[in-house]
Amino acid sequence: MNKLTSVDELKHAALEIRKNLLNLCSKQTIHIGGDLSIADVMTVLWQYQMNYNPHDPLDEGRDRFILSKGHASAVMSFNQAAIGCFDSNDVIKEYASDEGRFSMHSCKLINPYVEFSTGSLGHGFPVACGIAAGLRLKDNLTSRVYVVMGDGEQSEGSVWEASMNAVHYKLGNLVAIVDNNGLEADGKIEDITGLGNLADKYRAFGFRVCELDGNDIAKIKNQFDNLPSPDSDIPTVLICHTVKGKGISFMENQARWHAGKITEEQLKLCIKELESGAK
Amino acid sequence: MPETHQNYYLRNIIGEYMAELGMTNDKVVVVNADLMGTCRNRSFVEAFPERSFNVGIAEQNMVSFAAGLAHEGFIPYAFSMAPFISMRACEQCRTDVAYNNMNVRLISTYSGVSGGISGATHWALEDCAIMCAIPGMTVMEPCDPLQAKKMLECSAEHSGPIYIRSSVEPVINVYDSDYCFEIGKASLAKDGNDGAFICSGITVKYALSAAEIVKKNTGKEIRVIDMHTLKPLDRQAIIDAAKTGKIVTAHDHNVSGGLGQLVAEVIASEKLKTDFVNLGIEDKFVPMAHAPYLYHKFSLDDEGLARTMIELINKED
Repeated sequence: MNKLTSVDELKHAALEIRKNLLNLCSKQTIHIGGDLSIADVMTVLWQYQMNYNPHDPLDEGRDRFILSKGHASAVMSFNQAAIGCFDSNDVIKEYASDEGRFSMHSCKLINPYVEFSTGSLGHGFPVACGIAAGLRLKDNLTSRVYVVMGDGEQSEGSVWEASMNAVHYKLGNLVAIVDNNGLEADGKIEDITGLGNLADKYRAFGFRVCELDGNDIAKIKNQFDNLPSPDSDIPTVLICHTVKGKGISFMENQARWHAGKITEEQLKLCIKELESGAK
Repeated sequence: MPETHQNYYLRNIIGEYMAELGMTNDKVVVVNADLMGTCRNRSFVEAFPERSFNVGIAEQNMVSFAAGLAHEGFIPYAFSMAPFISMRACEQCRTDVAYNNMNVRLISTYSGVSGGISGATHWALEDCAIMCAIPGMTVMEPCDPLQAKKMLECSAEHSGPIYIRSSVEPVINVYDSDYCFEIGKASLAKDGNDGAFICSGITVKYALSAAEIVKKNTGKEIRVIDMHTLKPLDRQAIIDAAKTGKIVTAHDHNVSGGLGQLVAEVIASEKLKTDFVNLGIEDKFVPMAHAPYLYHKFSLDDEGLARTMIELINKED
């Protein structure tokens, strides 16, 4: 497929992803809050930024994508559908169904476009570091490894173990993305165990740290356009300030929409709100 | 069996053999978590610095990082002590290595109570139970230097995740140079038809010596089966051993979830008619002590094994 290039095209693509998510959410319980918060980043990543050929998913030159917050599998699957891996209707039909290809947490046993099966938090980042080191060892100096984590996930100690390795092994081909929506399953992160200043923490570990509005397509695109070369020495972390449930007013910033299902009636309202917001 | 009873240390054999493996297979990489010295793989690290990673004291990270390297086609050997690989990094072994079917080799030393005076934090009474319960994981334990090398050689060619545990206690030469090793096929350390010890790792040397004691005391010839692969288990070797009518299993592992229970499952499901005793570390925490003291305490040494087998023989008479 042809990659999207303009901000407007990407905005439209993100709108389509959100509509698909809500549609699925009217049929199945999905992690809708965290899907919606990271939907814009995922759209720019999959439909613009990443070098990935759905007709050759094992091509050595591809960029690797690891969904460390594995529960956002729906937003990944819809983006994979958008670039031609399969049809969006297949995702809606087969998600969380027996013998279907799409599970609540991304699983490569059933979806061949999943680079690495995830679900338990704090695993994807250290795995991504190993992949980034492996690429270097193979003299693949052009591929990048993108890993998307949640902000609640930052409480996992393994994230910080991996951070030390990423910097120590000079993995400039690694781009970590934090979906900083401020909420985790039990409520506000600040009320549970606060993360403090996440940017300062990553800076102290030696990362190139960029903070951005993770629901602003133009700003996301701009960050990706300005990534250091994959053969550089300093790993990047993009701390994306996002809104959980972004785009649907009754879901925004509501911890109870971490996961859930909507009615047909709610779906109509959601689609209406998304379309009016896009105008 | 060779005459010499010279002592060998498996962690030295395994660690040092890595350099040879690295020479013949350029996909082989080593990942340490600050126990390169303990695991004796420094010669690999020095020979292949670019293929060596040391993630610091972070076993979970070591295993995930190794899974990432395997994802890119490498064959990572991740080294640590058995309790830290099997328990601190348990979920990483299960989810990142096994669920994702990565060719990671998890290489552990300090198996069972061989960590002795280090105490229970440095013992692995549970590792085989844990690893055997992980789908797709091959679980092995060498008892002899040549076997350890052949095991590593096979591991580089094998497809799928592997866990190898080894003792820090000294072992002896059990096998001659023509020894054939096959994953999942038990080795006959000593033949005999009047009873069978089924062992793995450090207990093989004690069983060989116990078989001599039994012979001297009763004239009976006891078979010693070296069950170097705990998973997949060689069921046929157990079926054959049951024909002797007396099976004593010996494992430096909790009796719960160790070799004995693996063998018992075969005896029960195959409806084998045999006497059976499961020797291992009792299901409780005990204070630190030197490993031979503990083996003696739990009847895993030659004296304890011989006594147990003689009791079975006497019961028959």
